[in-house]
Amino acid sequence: MDEERLISKKDVLEKMGISYGQLYRWKRKGLIPEAWFVRRSTFTGQETFFPQDKILERIARIKAMKDEHPLDDLAELITTRVNAQLSVALAKLKRIGWLDDELLRSCCTDGLPDEAVSVWQAFVLGVLSRVRRSARDEEIGLVQRTLEQEKRKGLLDRVSEDGVQLYLLRKRIASGGISAEVSVVALSDEGAIFDPDVEVIEVVDLATIVQRINLDLARGEEGHERESMEGEEE
Amino acid sequence: MCAERQSISISGSGHLGGGEYVRVSISGSGRVDGDLVAEELRISGSGKVAGRTEAGQITISGSGRFGGAVRAEEMRVSGSAKVDGPVEAKELKSSGSFHADGDVAAEYFKNSGSFRVRGDVEADLFKASGGFDIEGLLSADKIEIQLGGRCAAREIGGETIRVERPGSLGSALLGGLAKMLTGGGMAELRATQIEADEVHLENTVSDVVRGKRVEIGPGCRIGTVEYTETLKVHEDAKVERPQKV
Repeated sequence: MDEERLISKKDVLEKMGISYGQLYRWKRKGLIPEAWFVRRSTFTGQETFFPQDKILERIARIKAMKDEHPLDDLAELITTRVNAQLSVALAKLKRIGWLDDELLRSCCTDGLPDEAVSVWQAFVLGVLSRVRRSARDEEIGLVQRTLEQEKRKGLLDRVSEDGVQLYLLRKRIASGGISAEVSVVALSDEGAIFDPDVEVIEVVDLATIVQRINLDLARGEEGHERESMEGEEE
Repeated sequence: MCAERQSISISGSGHLGGGEYVRVSISGSGRVDGDLVAEELRISGSGKVAGRTEAGQITISGSGRFGGAVRAEEMRVSGSAKVDGPVEAKELKSSGSFHADGDVAAEYFKNSGSFRVRGDVEADLFKASGGFDIEGLLSADKIEIQLGGRCAAREIGGETIRVERPGSLGSALLGGLAKMLTGGGMAELRATQIEADEVHLENTVSDVVRGKRVEIGPGCRIGTVEYTETLKVHEDAKVERPQKV
């Protein structure tokens, strides 16, 4: 892979006709990822550079969308749009068996986009497809709710950094002639220990799921570049 | 499940388990053992939350310690607060001493005491009149700093940045107070890089300043100034390399 071309911050501002204030604001709102800010020492002191193609494309997109949407919503919209470029992924998910109509019905009540899934959706689908072979319907729902609850707290980042396991557990409680079974979903580091009465139904290594998605996306890149170019022409 | 949430007040010494409460008030010495969710948290004695804290309003006039992330609509510190994690608030006001190990994000951040942040500080409006030490990036639409002690940030960026040295009686008094809190030292701002559309600096030391309209006021020592529209340099300021770009 050849090194990405970099562009200095002041060239970005000049080229796109934006101000420092806008750039910093967009960064704060999560519209421009931290990882794109590449700090380099130059003879005049510190300077910030960006991967040229990515930053120019992103700023053009923000500028085009910012009048119609509040800045706070834009981050989500932009990421979905960017992720929507990964439309190949959906077909691939089907091919690797992460997706079928039944699963779609049970977990995408608000409707799945026609052909695109975001990284997050793909992640959830991947996990659900792993647990579904042994889980009951309500447990699938429980797993999904657990993931969604942790989404805001940056579960995806944590998964890639620390490695997180998802456990689906059942425990039967019997007393006085009445017995009940309780389902529990837990997220934990590797090697969580449960009491002897707990039955571990399924353990999913979330990092593996993320890796599979990333692999998929990497392979799909070529195809999607072409598609997104076509999309630009509208 | 919706268990009845209660209000708890610790006025002697005590601790409570984490959980959801309406109001938690600690006026003696108290400790919350887990994560805390409350509409209101008041610490006027010495209080510690071991886990994460999520609250509508947090008021600390004594000493507060937080073992995890803090998220609040409004957080006011007039005593001392130490957070071992990131802080997120709509409004964050401190006139005491404030310390965060993670990033701090607020819509409005006002500080007249002293504070130290290990990560970045992000705000729409940032006002400081005491002393501070930000190890990461300070970024806000509007940054107003009344130098009241040693101020430092690795990088500063935004739309308008205005740094003023103590001049009026009021800020001199505050400066004295901040000096006591920060352990003395010059009322100056140090950074490696300052970038904004409108920049006005006094008593500032920085390697690089970049902006559209830049005013380098008295007491500044700047390496490179890159400006696109105007540059004014006060006679008591030093700019090594002024460059119009």
